[in-house]
Amino acid sequence: MAKEDLWREAREAIIGGDEDKARQTARRAVELEIDLNEMIERGYVPGIQKAGELWEAGDYFLPELIASAESMKAAMAVLRPGMSGSNIKARSLGGVVIGTVEGDIHDIGKNLVAALLQANGFEVFDLGADVKLEKFIEKAEAEKAGIICLSALLTTTMLNQKRFIELLTVRRLREKYKVMVGGAPANQKWADDIGADGYAPNAALAVQKAKRLAAT
Amino acid sequence: MNDNIIDLARKRTVLMDGAMGTELMSRSLPQDACPEVWNIEKPEIVQEVHLSYYKAGSDVVTTNSFGGNRLKLAAHGLESRAYELNCAAAALARAVKPAGKFVAGSIGPTGKLLKPQGDYTEEQFEAVFSEQAQALTDGGVDFLLIETMYDLREAMAALHGARRISPLPVFVTLTFNRTPRGYFTFMGNSVAQCVLELEKADVAAYGANCMIDSRDMVGLVRAFREKSYRPIIAQANAGKPEVCEDGSVKYSQGIDDYVRFIPDLVKAGANFVGGCCGTNPAYIQKAAAALISMK
Repeated sequence: MAKEDLWREAREAIIGGDEDKARQTARRAVELEIDLNEMIERGYVPGIQKAGELWEAGDYFLPELIASAESMKAAMAVLRPGMSGSNIKARSLGGVVIGTVEGDIHDIGKNLVAALLQANGFEVFDLGADVKLEKFIEKAEAEKAGIICLSALLTTTMLNQKRFIELLTVRRLREKYKVMVGGAPANQKWADDIGADGYAPNAALAVQKAKRLAAT
Repeated sequence: MNDNIIDLARKRTVLMDGAMGTELMSRSLPQDACPEVWNIEKPEIVQEVHLSYYKAGSDVVTTNSFGGNRLKLAAHGLESRAYELNCAAAALARAVKPAGKFVAGSIGPTGKLLKPQGDYTEEQFEAVFSEQAQALTDGGVDFLLIETMYDLREAMAALHGARRISPLPVFVTLTFNRTPRGYFTFMGNSVAQCVLELEKADVAAYGANCMIDSRDMVGLVRAFREKSYRPIIAQANAGKPEVCEDGSVKYSQGIDDYVRFIPDLVKAGANFVGGCCGTNPAYIQKAAAALISMK
């Protein structure tokens, strides 16, 4: 099987939310000893990006999005052990700590961003949802991450994004980290108002923004 | 023994109330607090909100029990108080209900997902909603309103759970997004699909609330009306929330623009109109005036 055919199958597995097919294609890639970074970039990433586009177009809904994200996770779980440590480090654009702020349990969008960041070469530390603000800092310090991403879906919990930047400032760590914010109620004006370094309205643009921030 | 709400809806447009959470917050409910706790700790404030809506012209107020299911209460460590908080919500509203008006028991979503996306089964959801419905019924509501449902399966679980123990009428409203292909819930349920299920279950009144403003709600009511002969319920948001620099929240649809579409909602086929997020007694008062001027 040519690697291009495997890339196509990988992409289809993600778009179709087919976890088994995602795992199978990943195992095949490892067996065939093809370039696994390429497999991710040319196979799985276009798949999850397509799923994101379909969600924005109103063609995919939560069940489809979740199935695609789970398939992505399944594929990455198979591939990561197959990628050597030095391989990962060399590609790594740096560490990213991501989570949904405390008081907020919504995580589907955040999971999509985490999956896409990881697939695009960042080392992602996903803290989950309802994360205390100090935990973002603890993890970023421990893992020497460069970027911290905060998600919030409610106008009430969104304020924690503002509080987080204030907390970083008070701890004299503001210059050390790039802070990105996201979630349905957020927008560029909000990000500017609170002094965040970046905002993106969807996962694909979040990755682009993160790459630009990582380069500075 | 309560006068039949469906009979009223057949005679004229029924006016529901507006938002509760923001009214409590404007009376100093902390933003991360559990609103239902005030049914025990500050019932007079909750009653004040109900009275302000009745005074503004609401025929129906909905109880302060939107997040009162035990799965949601668990986030505050209050799951063991589910019965107490819901019963109190119902009783305090009933205590201030004027003659000829109604109290609806609000039942909102658990915030959890059913399998396979989440960890829960329909049976587990049904049990949780049954508990809540029991408490609201015991507390004396006139009917139950399952609302803000973004998953048709969860809505049906709530319906079954409620009907298992309560003889009261149970109405259902779901939450829809407007997409290029029409109105859909977050889980992808279409209006047609929802009507089909609700009709099969013989729900006496149903419709939509939340997420969209009153302008977009008109199209949604039309979509329901195309498929249904039942009384339709429509409670729109006052647009989208925006957080201002000082942390306060403003809603994007102003009161006049919101009320402008009330007659359109009725003409499109809504029998119950009210307000959801971002609305307050002033919105309801103007809506009441708009309804009167339609006569």
